[in-house]
Amino acid sequence: MNTVIEVKNLRKHYGSVKAVDDISFSVAEGEIFGMLGPNGAGKTTTMEIVEGLRDADSGSVRVLGMSIKRHPSKVKAQIGVQLQATALYPRLTVREVLNLFGSFFPRRVPADRLIKLAGLEDSRNKRCINLSGGQQQRLSVALALVNNPRILFLDEPTTGLDPQSRRNIWAVIEYVRKKGRTVFLTTHYMEEAQRLCDRVAIIDYGKIIATDRPDRLVSQHFAEEAVEFEPEQQVDIDEIRGVAGITSAIVENGKVIAYSSSVPRTVSALMKFAEGKGMELTNLYVRRATLEDVFIKLTGRRIRE
Amino acid sequence: MRVFLRLIAAHYKQFIREKAALFWTFAFPVFFILIFGAVFSGSEDITFSVGLAVEDNSSVAQQLNESLQQVDAFELTMGDSDSELQALRDGDRSAVIVVAAGFGEAIAQGGQGNVSVYYDPSQTTTAQVLVPIIRQVLDGFDRALGQAPSYIQINEETLQAHDLRAIDYLTPGILAMAIMQLGIFAAVDIVIERENRVLKRLGATPLKRSTMILSTVGFRLIVALLQAALIILVARLVFGVPMLGNWFALIGFVLLGTLAFLAMGYMLSAFAKTERTAMPLMMSIQFPMMFLSGIFFPVEMMPDFMRPIMDAMPLTYLGDAFRQIMVESTPLHSQVINLGVLAGWLVVCLIVAVRFFRWE
Repeated sequence: MNTVIEVKNLRKHYGSVKAVDDISFSVAEGEIFGMLGPNGAGKTTTMEIVEGLRDADSGSVRVLGMSIKRHPSKVKAQIGVQLQATALYPRLTVREVLNLFGSFFPRRVPADRLIKLAGLEDSRNKRCINLSGGQQQRLSVALALVNNPRILFLDEPTTGLDPQSRRNIWAVIEYVRKKGRTVFLTTHYMEEAQRLCDRVAIIDYGKIIATDRPDRLVSQHFAEEAVEFEPEQQVDIDEIRGVAGITSAIVENGKVIAYSSSVPRTVSALMKFAEGKGMELTNLYVRRATLEDVFIKLTGRRIRE
Repeated sequence: MRVFLRLIAAHYKQFIREKAALFWTFAFPVFFILIFGAVFSGSEDITFSVGLAVEDNSSVAQQLNESLQQVDAFELTMGDSDSELQALRDGDRSAVIVVAAGFGEAIAQGGQGNVSVYYDPSQTTTAQVLVPIIRQVLDGFDRALGQAPSYIQINEETLQAHDLRAIDYLTPGILAMAIMQLGIFAAVDIVIERENRVLKRLGATPLKRSTMILSTVGFRLIVALLQAALIILVARLVFGVPMLGNWFALIGFVLLGTLAFLAMGYMLSAFAKTERTAMPLMMSIQFPMMFLSGIFFPVEMMPDFMRPIMDAMPLTYLGDAFRQIMVESTPLHSQVINLGVLAGWLVVCLIVAVRFFRWE
């Protein structure tokens, strides 16, 4: 597999904040690579450095085998970029914006094809200002595809979107991958990363703390399953950790998430524990561990929206 | 080139579809002309306070007195020369005409009668607008005496003073104002595009930044020319304001003025983060310029201590240039100076803009 993005020892500081703190990774051609992390973790900064929109303090970036600093327009001609929260020319129509952006590139995909792909057929002559948030975001993704890019960069493409727009964007991403193109996306949705990505890099405080296939990340870190419940009253988390079968546990907003290597033993032990305290455990359920659990295990916190 | 034209077309569509932009660019200056034209309509000309001291009792002197009384542009005050000259020093007169004793006798004897015109040379506008008018009146009176050669001692001047009506004075100023607004308010659009990350998004394409800027500038230049055409047309059709000078010179100053104020707009846009901060910033720059640049009223109506401020403002020079070209008003500055100052502002703003402009 060809490596299309290669990032080595990337650093970017804003004052004393280490937005990107010695990050290295590579993306192979044809894969969907996701960067997963909470807001402010450094995902956007990293992505924008790779896109050539920001300068790094140190480190090297090669995109399609070229240095983006040395050959910016050559690289930019072959990548497609969607930025967070862009409102482009508000008084141009969907089709006009697509045609305008198309004119910036030597090769271009016809506007009508992109309109269909983004599910904007009914809005093609609507002005951008009159589009819903979801439609604007779909247009933004369509614009990133206007030059039939070899690499598609999506920065939190589905944040805050309605379910229909989210499904549409997922479908577009899968379509792009089917065409053998590469997708580099950032997200703080575990579900999105788990569902779409071939490989995920978990990033926190400017550092990559794990990179692998989503299922492998889970299985590597968890032989256990997750047991969740809401105790009626405050419980000492250390007591929970002492319950049979539980390897680790956290409590958040009154909800306990415990990881158990033996669910039957843990559940019956928990029942006894609750009985001894004279309280009930509500909303008790058992599920398989997810990327979210991996994040919790690695950082001690949840990813928040 | 193809991309450039595409961008121009996009700017055009963005512009034509926004009612507010259309209003400020085209309707607003036209309203100004119509309102001011109506307010100052017809006989309401600009008047100058002129002191007249007649120290000669002859009938010729009396006749001269009467013909000076008939000049609409003068608001005559009679007095003796000492008190009138004092009034001039105090700034209560724009000029003082003294008809010296022996004026009638000298003419009766076939010689030349002396008329002295006093003015403050530092009050350049007054001096240069008013003095030629006085000369013209005296000259006319002289010829009316009938017999050659001339009887009154005045120096021939090539300066031609037109009978400037208020609307003649205002129209070129409003044109200059419209161009200033076009340029400075471009800054708001730039700030909005930066805030909306349009500039950043465009930066992620192979589009060159120079093409981006050139298309914005090119489009504004086209709008400026349309604005100028509209303003001149309305002023001419409704109030008969002439366009006496060279069209190429006019177009040249329209383009130079637009560039200078666009550069100022780009410079200002570097110092405003959001649309909310950009608007007050632009207002605080454009309002003082509007009122301190002699756009709406001649600069001699301003107190002297404000002269340095006025002399620093590019709008003063653009307005003066347009007035000279359109209605051949007496120059405040020579056109070379007007050109130089505007070019100077253009270069300075450009340097600051290049140094501080941010794309995101």
